Amino acid sequence: MSWLNRKSVLIPIDFSDLSYQALGPAKELATDGSSLKLIHVLAPLHPADPAAMWDAISDDDRKDKVRAFTHKKLGELGYDDLPIQVVIGDTTSKIVDYAQEIDADLIVMPSHGRKGVSRFLIGSVAEQVVRLAHCPVLILK
Amino acid sequence: MKKPMFRLKHYLYGLAFLLIFLPQVAFAQDDAAPVGFLGSIEAGVQSVVDVLNLIFYFKIGGENGMPFIVLWLVIGAIFFTFRLKFINVRAFKHAIDVVRGKYDSEEDEGDVSHFQALAAALSGTVGIGNIAGVAIAIRLGGPGAAFWMTMAGFLGMSSKFAECTLGQKYRVIKPDGTVGGGPMYYLSRGLSAMGLAPVGKALAVIFAVFCAIGSLGIGNMFQANQAFAAVSNVLPFLNGLSWLFGIVLALIVGLVILGGIERIGAVAGVLVPAMAVIYALACFWVMLVKLPEVPGAIGTIIATAFNPEAVAGGAVGAIVIGFQRAAFSNEAGLGSAAIAHSAAKTDEPVREGIVALLEPFIDTMFICNLTAIVIVLTGVYADPTAADLNGAQLSAASFETVISWFPYVIAVAGFLFALSTMISWSYYGQQSWAYLFGDSTVNIYKGIFLFCVFVGAVVNLGPILDFSDIMALAMSLPNLLGCFLMSGLIARELNSYMSRLKSGEMLPEAQVAQEPLLRR
Repeated sequence: MSWLNRKSVLIPIDFSDLSYQALGPAKELATDGSSLKLIHVLAPLHPADPAAMWDAISDDDRKDKVRAFTHKKLGELGYDDLPIQVVIGDTTSKIVDYAQEIDADLIVMPSHGRKGVSRFLIGSVAEQVVRLAHCPVLILK
Repeated sequence: MKKPMFRLKHYLYGLAFLLIFLPQVAFAQDDAAPVGFLGSIEAGVQSVVDVLNLIFYFKIGGENGMPFIVLWLVIGAIFFTFRLKFINVRAFKHAIDVVRGKYDSEEDEGDVSHFQALAAALSGTVGIGNIAGVAIAIRLGGPGAAFWMTMAGFLGMSSKFAECTLGQKYRVIKPDGTVGGGPMYYLSRGLSAMGLAPVGKALAVIFAVFCAIGSLGIGNMFQANQAFAAVSNVLPFLNGLSWLFGIVLALIVGLVILGGIERIGAVAGVLVPAMAVIYALACFWVMLVKLPEVPGAIGTIIATAFNPEAVAGGAVGAIVIGFQRAAFSNEAGLGSAAIAHSAAKTDEPVREGIVALLEPFIDTMFICNLTAIVIVLTGVYADPTAADLNGAQLSAASFETVISWFPYVIAVAGFLFALSTMISWSYYGQQSWAYLFGDSTVNIYKGIFLFCVFVGAVVNLGPILDFSDIMALAMSLPNLLGCFLMSGLIARELNSYMSRLKSGEMLPEAQVAQEPLLRR
């Protein structure tokens, strides 16, 4: 299998400036735009978050807002609109699960900018995805 | 390099797990000698306290002087009261109008109404400290300490205004519509806007570290400790079973913060205000029963504030204890409440700051004061036969002299207050942890938090209180420093808000809606 013409490429995105980096290379590696898929993993709200405490924002609201935000942001960055999967839960396992679900043949993501103690203690999401994913993972530096 | 890191993470989980279940094993082997393992936990907490004492608690002005960190808090509260021209007095009525929803607007960004944000913040501040902390203050600093608590609550309204205004101004609305706010954000973003980016970043990180650790004391171990004191007071068979209580409490908190069993949180959220009302009514009842003695009790509080007898450090000692316990109770100057207040729906940062200044008023000037008057009124604190009672047990004994069954209410109210405060503080701590290490690792923090619930229940009050005090006060160091640096901005924002309020430009929402009708 060549590195080019991947049929299903997954790009996890956390909306940090770094995370958009993956869009360019992913596009080059994919057969066409329709092979690209995004995923964003939301952390569950803490029960004492005022929004959760008063039930002011539902999980569906949060997902809708993320989709709208992605649509706007991709437009601003000059990319075509891409489908985004928004899920709530543990970042690594949700990315890996979704990659399996859509039968991704490549995951493209930047290595997160963690340094020092934090890196030592927990490593990065990218590291964990590499270890657990069933498909190749391209980590951008 | 990568694999060992991963193993370390699992090791940390494993360690936390082991530490939680070890005591059970230890007790199964030897029921008679509970000292060994718990004793070593207590010694561990004590040695941490000794180091922290050296760093933050050095006294200015000799042996009976003022600890630096308390002086810092006092200066902060006085500074903001004068710098903002007694905002705590002049905005009081407006604060109540805003909380009543007169200025709520659905179109503004944010998650919850002003009232809801205040209630969320209050569930963190109104804790068992309102019952137990006051008793501790009176035990250590005499009745006069209660006067200084009230004073600290009054001045603290201004620092609370300052930090919550900044919390609103520099909050971040995330892509999912939820709000990120609090000192981490206003220190880094606010100071960076002033051209002090490196200072801001450093203070934000220091705050987050202190808050993540501090949440384990003020919002966790202290609460667990005094909840056990209040409950075992009415259920004596629990004495010696603190480890069991600790495990059960950790399980309940764990169900809420790990298991997402939000119901328990919601139930506590309903019961806590109800308990607060019952508690306040009981205080009024005690006062009514002893009505002729009330002026005398208030007189004692005021007189001993300036001329305390048998208090280590004299009047300064009473001031230190009063301010310390007040800050501990209402969080003014610590910055924590700004995390909750940031979620309010508004486009006027000053408006939420004004709402927030009600917090020290309700918490300290109202609820703590009621407890103080009851304790002084009943005189139990001065009874030599009750000299070994402290904290929640002293409060319970005071109420008991008038309402014989009230210790049961204190046990239930104290337990619920403690539970809701622990859940709120785990949120503050988690936000700080996430600021440092990212959202994906918060389960490590939650594990540590639950372990500390257990530790709090089994260790004696002394070291727990010292640790909780120092870490809570330490949070005020980066927070107030940032607030000082941004005080010019706060004052400008406030002036602009007040002049627009006076000119009628900001009509309450209800009036805006009526306007066309009136003109017709």
